[in-house]
Amino acid sequence: MELQGFPLPEDSPEPGACIRIERPEPDLAVLVLAPPHRSLAVLDAPLLRDLDAAVAELENGYQKGVVIAGAEPLKFAAGADIDAIESITAPADLKRICDFVHDLFLRIDKLSGRVVAAIGGPVPGGAFELSLACDYIVAADHPKTRIGLPETMLGILPGWGGCHRLPRRVGLPTAMQAILTGRLYPARQAKKMGLVDRLTHPEYLLRVASDIAMGRETPRRKARGWKGMLVDRNPLMANLIAKKARETVYRKTRGKYPAPLRAIDITAEGPRTSMQQAARKEGDAIAELATGPVCKALLSIFGSSEEAKKLGRDLEGFEPRTFRRAGVLGGGVMGGGIASNLALKGVATRIFDLAPPALDAVLHEHRGDVAKRLKRRRLTKAESLQALDRLDCSRSMDGFSGSQIVIEAVAERLDVKQSVFQQLARQVGSDCILASNTSSLSVTSIAEGVPRPERVVGMHFFNPVKKMPLVEVVRGEQTAHEVALEVAALAVKMGKTPVIVRDVAGFLVNRLLGPYLDEAVRLFIDGAQPKQVDELMLDFGMPMGPFRLLDEVGLDIAEHASESLHQAYGERMIPCTGLEPMRSPDRLGRKTGKGFYVFPKERKARESVAPDLADYQSGSSARRLSDEQIVDRLVLSMVNEASRCLEEDVVAGAKELDLATVFGTGFAPFHGGLLHYADKLGATEVVARLEGIAASEDVAARPGGSAKFEPAALLRENARRNLGFFSA
Amino acid sequence: MLAYNLLDDGPDIVLAAGLRSPWVRAGSAFRYEDAGHLGARVARELIARSGIDPAEIDEVIAGCVGPPHDQANIGRVIALRAGVPQAVPARTVARNCASGIEAVTSAVANIRAGFGTTYLTLGVEVMSAYPLIMGHRLTGFFERLMKARSLGARLKGIASFRPSMLKPRVALLEGLTDPVSGLIMGKTAELVARDFGLTREQCDGFALRSHERALAAQERGRFQAEILPHLPQRARKSAGAVDADDGPRSDQSMERLGRLKPYFDKPDGVVTVGNACGITDGAAALLVTTAERCAELGLKPMARLRSFAWSGCDPARMGLGPVYSSALALDAAGCRLDDIGTVEINEAFAAQVLGCARAFESASWAERHLNRSHAVGELDLARTNVNGGAIALGHPVGATGARLLLTAAHELEVGDHELALATLCIGGGQGGAVVLERVA
Repeated sequence: MELQGFPLPEDSPEPGACIRIERPEPDLAVLVLAPPHRSLAVLDAPLLRDLDAAVAELENGYQKGVVIAGAEPLKFAAGADIDAIESITAPADLKRICDFVHDLFLRIDKLSGRVVAAIGGPVPGGAFELSLACDYIVAADHPKTRIGLPETMLGILPGWGGCHRLPRRVGLPTAMQAILTGRLYPARQAKKMGLVDRLTHPEYLLRVASDIAMGRETPRRKARGWKGMLVDRNPLMANLIAKKARETVYRKTRGKYPAPLRAIDITAEGPRTSMQQAARKEGDAIAELATGPVCKALLSIFGSSEEAKKLGRDLEGFEPRTFRRAGVLGGGVMGGGIASNLALKGVATRIFDLAPPALDAVLHEHRGDVAKRLKRRRLTKAESLQALDRLDCSRSMDGFSGSQIVIEAVAERLDVKQSVFQQLARQVGSDCILASNTSSLSVTSIAEGVPRPERVVGMHFFNPVKKMPLVEVVRGEQTAHEVALEVAALAVKMGKTPVIVRDVAGFLVNRLLGPYLDEAVRLFIDGAQPKQVDELMLDFGMPMGPFRLLDEVGLDIAEHASESLHQAYGERMIPCTGLEPMRSPDRLGRKTGKGFYVFPKERKARESVAPDLADYQSGSSARRLSDEQIVDRLVLSMVNEASRCLEEDVVAGAKELDLATVFGTGFAPFHGGLLHYADKLGATEVVARLEGIAASEDVAARPGGSAKFEPAALLRENARRNLGFFSA
Repeated sequence: MLAYNLLDDGPDIVLAAGLRSPWVRAGSAFRYEDAGHLGARVARELIARSGIDPAEIDEVIAGCVGPPHDQANIGRVIALRAGVPQAVPARTVARNCASGIEAVTSAVANIRAGFGTTYLTLGVEVMSAYPLIMGHRLTGFFERLMKARSLGARLKGIASFRPSMLKPRVALLEGLTDPVSGLIMGKTAELVARDFGLTREQCDGFALRSHERALAAQERGRFQAEILPHLPQRARKSAGAVDADDGPRSDQSMERLGRLKPYFDKPDGVVTVGNACGITDGAAALLVTTAERCAELGLKPMARLRSFAWSGCDPARMGLGPVYSSALALDAAGCRLDDIGTVEINEAFAAQVLGCARAFESASWAERHLNRSHAVGELDLARTNVNGGAIALGHPVGATGARLLLTAAHELEVGDHELALATLCIGGGQGGAVVLERVA
């Protein structure tokens, strides 16, 4: 078969350069994946081409054993060439590539002698599927080893044999779990689940693999036994498992993601179909999914987040410091979350708060979290002790002199923040970064009066810190570029995705959410049903409807935020005042147990819509709006503001903005982000719809009029030139 | 007998900084605490507050009587958990109740020998964690079971079980018993009481005063500068951080003390649980360095060391150890007991402290035991343990020595004294004493 249509990388080497065949002893062949154009082998066109040739060479000779290994024990290979797959648009090309790989893997499977995969380091997707084609898998027992099939996370499925080889190896339930969660398992767990046959130290990996290949050792594999017949190959059981899995997926995704559903079908049938037939099904599915919009959207988000994780790295003449000691000021929910996160990620952290109960709560929370990780075996006992030791509390603002960075999360008042930074500056070294977790104040103003203001930067985490993946790194007017990059690198170390933004009111995410939430409130006042609007937005792909989100944020916080946006941006952000009668100290959303929804005190009980909402509605115009119109008002108000953000260079570009919307607001990933969604509609259409909304009676009658929906200059320009945000 | 005079040539050595955890009754708030964890917490905080780079520390020395079985060299565990770099060595020293002072005097001797300048020393003891030990018979039973291969041998092994095998050995009690004299510590105090004719009322009176002084000190906030609040491991959500010693009883009275029965010598003894020190958990850390280095580090020293002494005595009357060692330390420091502004003497037992007071002022006792013609001097109880002592605060054995030095050093400043004496008795028949001097 031919490997046509698989684009070669620009720097692809000569045929034969990517694979080395070594013969360290008679009758043993070791295939080393060592492409010269990559630091970690990728299953790209040149490598597959060379693997094809190497396998052909082995087919023509005799050997007792074959080992397939990476260039180093902890460098096997990193799956398929995502960039190339992203660029392929013709389903037929993908189908052909899949057929080629399936055929190649089947030939490896059929090679004479024992074939052993010697894997280690990250072994995701295609790299693991290559291992599955071997007779035995030996893995390096090392923290860097991570094995799994993450394809469904990217909108495709394990299409190089994963869907049918894995259930044959480990049984249907385990395979289904591995494929649907897309988790990369650590070595020990992979061994326990049967993903690999044997663990050994990285130093011994090749020796042990050779021993197995030559028959000097035979690892025992847990046989599925009767379970194989009664579960994996039993259509009734397989269908039951598939049904359960489908229900779970539907509950989580509302059917917006086709890949997991396809994966369930193919995996469930995997053990019962012939290899050739299963391979064909996988190929068909890949051809369809990988060229579809959801996969492209997910790959684009994945690409931007990978890029964001490289912020501050690989730059010439600049090496971000390794953060070992940090300080956090303020033991509230945010400060505690940040401190705990730092401690878990290896940074010794000291947190200050004047109130002892706040500090106690921080420690309780941290200890609870560490205990949970210990129980789930994410941490060893020794690691858990270190994680505990890395968080210390202080009732006074001293002892911070050794900190490399101090992040403040004290009260949102300019004078308070300025004063703590000025106080701190006397104590810490001159190169200690002073970061503010402010969400509404200007970083530039906070830096005023602080010695060496170029080290003052914003580091805006979202609540809850543990779960929210985005960090806005805010560059004040005086912030040094290096400082922003170092803080971004720290965010990556903390397991977060950083986006560097300019110091404008609301920064990026809250500036976009402001008009969205305000619009939701206006719809409510004009008679829309919160439950219905929330359902609409869930269907649109948001993780939470706007009213539920308002309750989560807190009605008082939301009001405060919209007020400061109004001050900064003028009439287009004039906030709706209609909510005032509803807002009271005991009705501020989730934290008080009641907002748009009523939150029962019992654990796990679901919230319900508050019964008295109609009392606060004064209009009925929203009831006449269609579902599409409601979605448009909410989403396009964000698109319009996003367009202005791009005009004002608030973020580096459209890619970063989309990343922030997906990671910061949970904006439907299958759309690819806010601006990808806008591009899908087309600038002309967006402008037309915005003008339509602006012209509608109720909007024109608002204070501030239709300013909010006047299409932004960039949008108009794009519409005129028939461009998109991503094709500009 | 060993006495070291620090007035002689050599660098001045100071206590540069110090801190301790609250002293907490064993089996209560620190019940699930671990000595390594607690010690490291205090050490880490001392490093942070003093602002020194932990790489500047030459060695970490921890005093501990009963380290947890999985942390034999607990000094090293504490050093690493406190963030002291791996390259810095650490060790554990023991001299029973004086282990916390032993850590300091070991550091001093090292510095004077030209062996480093900066030492992080600790005293740490979590007596809550002292285990119950399986007896030999139960151990033998398990051995037989493990060795048994055939079914018959196994059954025979199982059949050899007797319920009486389950009786454990209590590490705490065995630890507090001197194997040479065969006496548990309380009995050595009874001997002292009989030697000097001390009465139950005298002992109870001393105990009551210890509580009163400790409570008054707490009210003044006297301990705030030395105590680091600590949220114990596995603390309940509703429980906050412990920020004060929990030993002093506001409801203590002669009447209540009088109701207690003698614990060690029934029915005629004078030592009760009320006039003896408690079983306690705690950790204290001190930064020991030269005056010069201290200035370089930008720290204001708490006190300068003037002399220290170790001496042995009759294990059956170990409580009198402070008299032996104080006499030596005072001589080495070139001063008399009258010159000392404030004394911290460990209150293992009221009878033992009162016995020391008698021995200090007795010329005949000095002649018989110290081979000197005159008495050591009068121990003025008004200037002794002015903030209460171990009877009220508790006595985490390995940590107490460090607290005596810490409290004495603070008292120099608080009470405006020139000299302070910290001394304690040591199980097995020893005494230790340190003379501290205020830094101008």
